[in-house]
Amino acid sequence: MSEDQVLQALRALAESDCEREAPPAVEASLLGEFRERRHSYKWRWIGGAAIAAGAVLAVLLSMNHVARPVVSVLPPVTPVPRAAAPVISSRAPAASTVVRRMARPQAHEVVTEFFPLIDSAPPFERGQMLRVQLPAAAMRTVGLPVGEDHLADPIQADVLVGEEGMPRAIRFVGFDVQ
Amino acid sequence: MLSDEELLREARDGDETAFTALYRRRQGAVYRFALHMSGDAAISEDVTQEVFLALLEGGGRFDPSRGSLLSFLYGIARNRVLRRLEAKRPEELSGEPSSDDDVLEDLTRRETIEAVRSAILSLPTQYREAVVLCDLENASYEDAAAALECPVGTVRSRLSRGRGMLAQKLAAKAVRSLS
Repeated sequence: MSEDQVLQALRALAESDCEREAPPAVEASLLGEFRERRHSYKWRWIGGAAIAAGAVLAVLLSMNHVARPVVSVLPPVTPVPRAAAPVISSRAPAASTVVRRMARPQAHEVVTEFFPLIDSAPPFERGQMLRVQLPAAAMRTVGLPVGEDHLADPIQADVLVGEEGMPRAIRFVGFDVQ
Repeated sequence: MLSDEELLREARDGDETAFTALYRRRQGAVYRFALHMSGDAAISEDVTQEVFLALLEGGGRFDPSRGSLLSFLYGIARNRVLRRLEAKRPEELSGEPSSDDDVLEDLTRRETIEAVRSAILSLPTQYREAVVLCDLENASYEDAAAALECPVGTVRSRLSRGRGMLAQKLAAKAVRSLS
């Protein structure tokens, strides 16, 4: 039997079987599994994020027994290309370089750089951002200057929580008066 | 139309529509690969399900620089099939036809197809997977190499050797049938 004949026979088999596929029951079973995992993942995530946020707030508030924090969960975040990623530096930046404008839907929102909350962490792959409200005194914990008269003022912050539930970084949010 | 990689990303973010689209696009290829490798529909169903479950769990391990998502799926399917074949007793594999009643000389198209199917199942695994991927599923040499975790040159040589063995088996069968 020549190779051409073998190839011809193989083509006949491929054509004969090209419509064969897994029965619908496999898809139904997989979708059920998908929904179950998504559901458990979602609740695990919310629980983990809440615990992580609580841990962050406990640390930040340990110095300031003032206003009660307000926490809201923002949509999940995934890494962005390095060039556009928020800078998470292990060093506190100089005050003059801290504040920068962000192109966000809230045109007048200004945010600080991210400040790391843990020294060594596994690479960040996926996570979630929590918008929290803190007393301004919390900014001092990352080295940002706050006037004595404003320590108790509420300020918003974004806490970046990794997929594993560890709080990775925090940034503070303000609003441009212009 | 979204690429496989984009669908995977959205599926891992919880988008059921994306997962369904990806499954429907690729399940046939995975199922047929398992079927041609094992000759067993039940194994093929199980493997197909396991491959997509593994994708949900370990899709993050997919590295586009090492090959397409389809080759990644073939790679998972291959491991699952081989695991099952190793656990299966040799006599359970339908590698050779059960009787010599088929006459190759005047085989109908259906008989030819079944003869080739049997001959493929009787090939040693390394040649069988090259023939199934490249000749039956039309996978590129690069995708096959990624799935089989070997160089492209190895895929080519296994494919050539596999075809040669198929030719011998089919010819031998024809002789047996005629005698």
